[in-house]
Amino acid sequence: MTTRSRKLRGGGSIVFAPPAAENHPLKVTQFRAWRVREPVSNRRYTVVRLQSQGGIVGHGEGGPAPAAEIVAARAAVMDRRATESEYIRAALRGAPALEAAVSNAMLDLVSRAKNVPIYRYLGGPVRFKARLLGHLEGATPAESAPSLERAKGHGIQAFTTAAPARDAMIPLRAYVDLVRQQYADMQRLAGASAEWVLDAAGAMTPGDAASVAVALERSHPIWFDEPTLVTTQDALAKIVDESTMPIGLGRHITDMAAFQSLLAGGSVNIVRPDLGLNSLTKIKRVAAVAETHYVGIAPFHNGGPIGSMAGIHLNASILFAYAQQIPVPASDRDAAMRVEIASGLKESGDKGFFALLNRPGLGFEVNERGLDAWSEERI
Amino acid sequence: MKRRQLLSALAAAGALGAVPGRRRASPSPLHDCGCAPQIVTAKDKPPGAAAFRDVASRLRVTNMRVFGVTLDERIAQADRPYVFVKIETNEGVTGWGEATLEGKAAAAMACVMDLKDLIIGSDPMQVEHLYQSMYIGSFYRGGPVLGSAISGIDQALWDIRGKVMGMPVYEMLGGPVDARGVRGYYHADAWTLAAARELRDKTKAAGVTALKFQLPDLLECVETNAKIKRAVAHMEMLREGLGPDLDFAVDFHARPSPTVAAIILREIEPLHLLFAEEICPPENVRAMARAVRHSTTPIATGERLIASFGYAELIDMGVVDVLQPDIAHVGGVSALWKVSATAEASGIRMAPHACEGPIGGIASLHVDAAGPNFLAQEICGFVDAGEKNRVWEDLMGFPAMRMAGGRYPLPTKTGLGVDINEEALKRYPFQGTRPFAMAFQEDGAVASI
Repeated sequence: MTTRSRKLRGGGSIVFAPPAAENHPLKVTQFRAWRVREPVSNRRYTVVRLQSQGGIVGHGEGGPAPAAEIVAARAAVMDRRATESEYIRAALRGAPALEAAVSNAMLDLVSRAKNVPIYRYLGGPVRFKARLLGHLEGATPAESAPSLERAKGHGIQAFTTAAPARDAMIPLRAYVDLVRQQYADMQRLAGASAEWVLDAAGAMTPGDAASVAVALERSHPIWFDEPTLVTTQDALAKIVDESTMPIGLGRHITDMAAFQSLLAGGSVNIVRPDLGLNSLTKIKRVAAVAETHYVGIAPFHNGGPIGSMAGIHLNASILFAYAQQIPVPASDRDAAMRVEIASGLKESGDKGFFALLNRPGLGFEVNERGLDAWSEERI
Repeated sequence: MKRRQLLSALAAAGALGAVPGRRRASPSPLHDCGCAPQIVTAKDKPPGAAAFRDVASRLRVTNMRVFGVTLDERIAQADRPYVFVKIETNEGVTGWGEATLEGKAAAAMACVMDLKDLIIGSDPMQVEHLYQSMYIGSFYRGGPVLGSAISGIDQALWDIRGKVMGMPVYEMLGGPVDARGVRGYYHADAWTLAAARELRDKTKAAGVTALKFQLPDLLECVETNAKIKRAVAHMEMLREGLGPDLDFAVDFHARPSPTVAAIILREIEPLHLLFAEEICPPENVRAMARAVRHSTTPIATGERLIASFGYAELIDMGVVDVLQPDIAHVGGVSALWKVSATAEASGIRMAPHACEGPIGGIASLHVDAAGPNFLAQEICGFVDAGEKNRVWEDLMGFPAMRMAGGRYPLPTKTGLGVDINEEALKRYPFQGTRPFAMAFQEDGAVASI
């Protein structure tokens, strides 16, 4: 690789024009936000509601965010047209959860105003159904069983399973055997038709992850997710050079250049930007980079049902999108709360896929009373 | 396919929960090269469309036409025939795009029509699916002929999408970044210091902030002191004549080898060019990397590359500072946007090439306006508008390729904001392909022009 420096790289901040003063029907005139918490899992996320001059409402979800960031996001988006996603991407660069929530709410608003599903506004659909990946709760097969049962009942056929953490007293070989055993236990529990993603949640060293990757190669997980938090190219080379296991990475990344670096280095086989930290429009840009490397994209998601549905619209507009991760609660209370927020819409599929909804915006009405009931704070 | 084979194929597809167009699980023995017959497409037009019956819009493409447009040589002697594409729909919404390919107009026109079966009957709102159908479905990915054909169709589809949504395309892409318009540059030449000074005054008076020039000579794989000095002296003269405030770029037009380019780039560093363009031939990225590593002069390239894949190596290897895809070749709005997004992730700026007609030029402005890494837009025009401008007014009703205050104003109409007068098109009938101009070295050998 050449060492040529990039004189134009980085650059100064972009100067955007001030908001247009006229009364455009898509001008954002109202902003509201909820800091939501699920009752049992304590899963947290932020939901933003925007209303336009023309009276159209859109909702978007991002990850958990402090009240100060929400207030700053309100100042950024008010009086802007709901189409100005590039402005929002720049203005909220330092508040990724709000960038996701606000930008996605803008997309919902504009799509509703134009009476089209979000996927159509984004240039899709490229597929008529989106593959679901059930994100199971629980660290062991026993703990994950209720979540797995619910996911199977929801027609999901691909799941994540957590890799056990390594105790310092456990020898490497015993640890690798433990991961392999737990993976096999989950396979037995779910049955032969299930497919799996092994999720290390960044808890392994690159060396341990390489050993696990080699040990599980012949089990053919769809991929090995977030094996380590050490995402330097040298560290990741230990894993990708020593095995043929596909590697998923990116749930903590919000910087386009970091995604590009992983892809250019050949360090990743499936890119996993978090829907709670990256807007759909931003992830489309990440997908454009990934496409040139023939690398797929499967957004990480551990938020609420509004985010899940947004992810499905994104999946339907990108050719190289593989699956949308859906959190599957273990508790009935959390599950009921998610359905309530989504006005009865279930995050479920048929034979592993969610059939796209041909309705405007997200495709369902957000139940704001439900948000009121389940939020820690309304801003 | 025989009846028994067809039933077996449908049964296999049904067992998979498949839709028409999907590969069979167990194909029956084949008696040909195996390129295509495993695909069940018989009743599905366009191929694969049936899968989307529940999620498509009600809009359908009913016709696609291609127009070759030849200008009188007295207006523009070297100018190519332009290739325009028009797509019509069942709801009366139409879209225009441009597939102009210098020196290969007839091939581009034929290729547009080769893609007709993928487009007629399709939902034009599914622009990404149709882009991928044309690009991947053509098997031979890329190349300038296919790239230009896809470009014309893709622009027309985006034009329709914008019209249906009731907004300019740049708004659909998340813009505008700057509502005042898109910075541009004109082509120019000046061979004496006095001419350069006169050009400076005229350019500044027009509010234009950047120009682009050519090298003075054809170049060979290694070069003499005399020719290198002449190239450098020409650029020094331009800087002196234009003054320190006016940006200028120099198009090397792939004339030098990497060896010669490295020498020239090193020596022109103090001139602070806007960029040096196509400093060597484009096929070998590693060779280009060799040429640029000794200079801080910003390097631009990309007008001959197709699809976002064509730029991946340049970006990953960090060879360039500015990318110059041409919206009439790269794959239209869809591909130009993807290249722009990919470039942004590496801190590379965009200065899209445009040596086609007014549709492609304006389509490019839409992507420029939504790109935070945009630098400047080329348009094949000069500070003095010339006769060609009258043609654009005749075809479109306004001087489509002119800047105001150094920027191209953003279209305010929906879609691409262009509407071609088909009656006016008849005044410029297609008169066959004009080959690209050739150049030869002193000894008769073919040279890069």
